[in-house]
Amino acid sequence: MAAYGAAVTVVLASALAFGVLVWWGRVLGGGSTASPAMATPPERVPFAGGMSPEFHAWNRYHVRYYAMALLFLAFDMEMVFMYPWAVVFVREGITALMEMAMFIAILLLGILYAWREGALRWA
Amino acid sequence: MGIRAVLTRLAGGAPQPVFAVAGEGGLPALRRLALVEGIELVSTPRAASTLLIVGRIPDALNDPLRQIHDQLARPRHTVVWGEQSFSPLPRATLVAPGEDPIPALGQRDRDHEAGEAPAMPDADPHPWRGVGPYGQGGRGMTGGTPFGRALTGRADDRDGLTLDQLPLAVGPFFPALPSGLVLHVKLQGDLVQDVSVGENPFTRRPGDPPLPAADLALFERALSEPVPIAALELARAAHHLWWLGQALAVHGLAALGHRAWRLAADVADVADGPAPFHAAEALSRRFDRLEIAVRCSRVLSWAIAGADSEGHGLPLAVVASRGLGPVARAAGQHEDARQLDPAYRALGFQPVVHSQGDTASRWRQRLAEIRQSLQLAGAAAEAQGPTSTPSGLVESPRGPITPAGHGPSHALMSLVADLVRGLEWGDAVAAVTSLDLDMAEAARPVGAGVAV
Repeated sequence: MAAYGAAVTVVLASALAFGVLVWWGRVLGGGSTASPAMATPPERVPFAGGMSPEFHAWNRYHVRYYAMALLFLAFDMEMVFMYPWAVVFVREGITALMEMAMFIAILLLGILYAWREGALRWA
Repeated sequence: MGIRAVLTRLAGGAPQPVFAVAGEGGLPALRRLALVEGIELVSTPRAASTLLIVGRIPDALNDPLRQIHDQLARPRHTVVWGEQSFSPLPRATLVAPGEDPIPALGQRDRDHEAGEAPAMPDADPHPWRGVGPYGQGGRGMTGGTPFGRALTGRADDRDGLTLDQLPLAVGPFFPALPSGLVLHVKLQGDLVQDVSVGENPFTRRPGDPPLPAADLALFERALSEPVPIAALELARAAHHLWWLGQALAVHGLAALGHRAWRLAADVADVADGPAPFHAAEALSRRFDRLEIAVRCSRVLSWAIAGADSEGHGLPLAVVASRGLGPVARAAGQHEDARQLDPAYRALGFQPVVHSQGDTASRWRQRLAEIRQSLQLAGAAAEAQGPTSTPSGLVESPRGPITPAGHGPSHALMSLVADLVRGLEWGDAVAAVTSLDLDMAEAARPVGAGVAV
């Protein structure tokens, strides 16, 4: 079976490519590119209960999780510091544990401050 | 071909996806149809293969109806139930009012090569043509009207920024809103910054055909003649249960909504039929189990609780003074026309009241009123059928009604705009659903219906 693996792959890939080209050619060469299910413009109007929209939906809106994303970035950098620590942790023993605990505790004070200031609330 | 026949039969056994549109007087028939096994009422025309129109559609709703018809993907099929002719969609299948629409819903017209032709003309509603040979370039791509539609304007955000604000009309046949309600909202993200309610399309004009029987005909009868209290209370419980099923479906709990509708149909059958009212006891136990399921749903409580608490929405005093019926009682008003009736007082009736006045309060209020109505019906059945005292003021499920005046939905409609302003879209839909509006009832005078 393994001997035919390459041949099967080539056959399947070329069949797929052929099918894609045929379909693409139909779309390019044939008349309307719209699917027959939604051929006229009124059929393509998005459903909002029967009225059609007057304005574009290309809007900018507030990214409310921005503060949360910045906090995540800061603590992601803390995790980066933990990687080399993890490598030497077993050899260094309790000293390493206490030092990392102090490091994390200082950063945890920052999280507590952000929590009380409402940075974790989105709406 | 054996396998083809087997597969066709399997596919034919799947429930029919139907997008239903309720006009004036169409809601009772539609609710019964929702319980039929082979029909699935979907929430968007894109998912439906059949458009079902029940009840009378006024002329103001013809254009939105044609738009909805075109938004069904082909091959599509339209069934009009209850009308003799239907001019906006001339190729629809007509089903007479008393007939069963199920065979017409399942039928496929094999003569049409691609299902029904579109009802709206094949013209772009916002035409735009650029300068180049492929339609590109020219005025409008930046700061003008790209592809014919204007870009949105700006408005202040709640954080002091100035961001885009999208004006949108959520139309008369939006499944989560009452049929006929148009909300012109200005959205920033999903926050409704401003809202105005469109004109009621069911407003009567001279020359309109006579009204069908009111949804709450029994309560209108109680204005002038004595009606058994058990029948009144069972009709009230059935109405609130129909509301409960619809509201659960809006919040995504379709199976629980179906359970509520089946219970509503059984309660309505006991209320209307010749059967004795002793069955109210068993219905009460079924409702207890349903209520436990509704209260235990975390998803539902999250959807409802965020709505208009925490300082958004209307203040409690405004809801209490402008609301009616269960909406006012959920805001602390101890007003119920039933407490003026000596027959009710003899049964020990006391109005149920909640104090918060928000969406969650209105849900709790209606659940409590269903329980109270079933208990009253059971007590009235035991006490050899006391009847209500006609006094010109009756407490209908939506609020008090008098012989001369509009239905309670008329007053509740004035709450919608102020209630919804400032809420996020999901909370706005939850708040409107909790009001239990009926646009057709808001436009009709009490007692004007002719029994069909």
